[in-house]
Amino acid sequence: MIRVDLRVERPGFVLDVAFASDARALGVFGGSGAGKSTLLAGIAGLVRTARARVEIDGTTLADSARSLDVPAHRRRLGVVFQDGRLFPHLSVRGNLRYGAPEAGDSSLQEVVELLELSALVDRRPHELSGGERQRVALGRALLTRPRALLLDEPLSSLDRRLKRQILPYLRRVREATTVPIVFVSHDLAEMQALVDEMLIIDAGTTSEPKPISSLLLDERAFERLRDDGLANVLSAVVVAHEGPDATVLRLGGVQGPDVRAARVDASAGTEVRLRVAPSEVALALQPLQGISIRNQLAGTVRRLEAHARATLVEIDVGVPIVAELSHGSVRDLGIGVGQAIVCLVKSQALRVAEPS
Amino acid sequence: MTLDPAEWTALLLSLRVAAVSVALMLVPGVACAWALARTRFRGQAILDTAIHLPLVLPPVVVGYLLLAGLGRSSWFGGWLHATFGVDIAFTTKAAAIAAAVMGFPLLVRSTRLAMELVDERLEDAARTLGASPWRVFRTITLPLAIPGVVTGVVLAFARSLGEFGATIVFAGNIEGRTRTVSTAIYTALQTPGGDAAAWRLVLVSVMVSFAALLVSESLARAARRRLGVARAGGAS
Repeated sequence: MIRVDLRVERPGFVLDVAFASDARALGVFGGSGAGKSTLLAGIAGLVRTARARVEIDGTTLADSARSLDVPAHRRRLGVVFQDGRLFPHLSVRGNLRYGAPEAGDSSLQEVVELLELSALVDRRPHELSGGERQRVALGRALLTRPRALLLDEPLSSLDRRLKRQILPYLRRVREATTVPIVFVSHDLAEMQALVDEMLIIDAGTTSEPKPISSLLLDERAFERLRDDGLANVLSAVVVAHEGPDATVLRLGGVQGPDVRAARVDASAGTEVRLRVAPSEVALALQPLQGISIRNQLAGTVRRLEAHARATLVEIDVGVPIVAELSHGSVRDLGIGVGQAIVCLVKSQALRVAEPS
Repeated sequence: MTLDPAEWTALLLSLRVAAVSVALMLVPGVACAWALARTRFRGQAILDTAIHLPLVLPPVVVGYLLLAGLGRSSWFGGWLHATFGVDIAFTTKAAAIAAAVMGFPLLVRSTRLAMELVDERLEDAARTLGASPWRVFRTITLPLAIPGVVTGVVLAFARSLGEFGATIVFAGNIEGRTRTVSTAIYTALQTPGGDAAAWRLVLVSVMVSFAALLVSESLARAARRRLGVARAGGAS
């Protein structure tokens, strides 16, 4: 559980936020100048705050009401910055060990293996690629056994290919440790690939954190994020591959229905996140014959949200999926809550959530 | 070209005075540079100005102020003499102190410039990794500013070798005790037929200073190579 209540005053800019989240990975989404980095610096204790209350898993790190302000170096928060910030005068090993001088070889080895750094440990930061640097920075933060990992746009200095290479490592960290993660980014696709809950930061204030898949039903979030590619995010397990272009996956792990998706490069049993835009989900009153759409998922309408520009329909097919329909379609089909319905999703529209 | 024993004495004394003066100012100099580069406090501008004063004051004035503050007839100098039987003025100590005061601004300036070039975001990163302020200084700021510190040390060392005005007022020109190469050259020029001796000492000074600069340059290069790129280099 992470609980944050901060006010930072700067000439021409005020950050004033309060939120709490139980998510394993919390996303902070916002454009440049919205206050994302200031927020992380405030949590980490790197900036002077006008008001501060920071609590992580029951430990209070700052509480201005009680004049408590644990200095940054005693907060044990692992921060990974956009530019890595490796120490140029130390080797990779020196960087990794910097925050954990007493850590045994076994814990160093653990992190080196997790992030596949063994070929890099004797190099110097200037000999590394951007992606390698970020992996070292991540390992350096992890070795301190932090209370939480604060990731400040760790991917945004990388090109798309490198982003896609690093992301699996972030996911691995997420799966292999119990450290809560706060992930700051201006890239919604990265968020969808990694976080469970997300809040939006804008001009120094934040929205409530919400499960990433429920943002579609929130009209403000929907309008704000539509152009960034807000979509259904479905966790799924790879079941089998069907030829070179298709993969069968089970939605929601064990209980959900099987779907066919565009080829997923992962072996059977791997957990992945799929995304599908709500506008790519069509609804039918009964299963259709003679149509190319291969995913026909029977479900029940749970919720209808009539936004100004479209109606969002949440259907429970074992897991919730949101479809975006015009008001007219909803009226013509007579869709109502509780109704049995079939979701049509083209397999090519179901893709692994990856940074764009 | 050979130096006579008195000239050797002057040369070795010069080197010793310069080395002691650098040793005297190194820690306070680096501390002042850090305070000026990394902290904000009341009276900072006054400290900054005071440190730089010897650069612009006539050296003779600095020497006179030192004499007035530390000479035996001063309150502090008199107390030192009465309590410990220690005299400063007109001793080798005085020569080292005079040289230290004159070289101090050069050391501080070069170190401070180098520290200001150290990316503060690296220091923030170190703090998030659990480094106390002292450890951040010791392991990040200072190592990254080392080329500037080396340059400052060499500049201050060379300045000490060349110190004349403050030394002659505060330490005098006593052979074997306070007669450095500079004052020895002055003495040789005052002596009929001393031209040859003056030339020998002049050549020696040029060689020593040249060597010092060469060493500093190669040290600074080596340090920059270690960082991989020409950054955080300081004034060199």
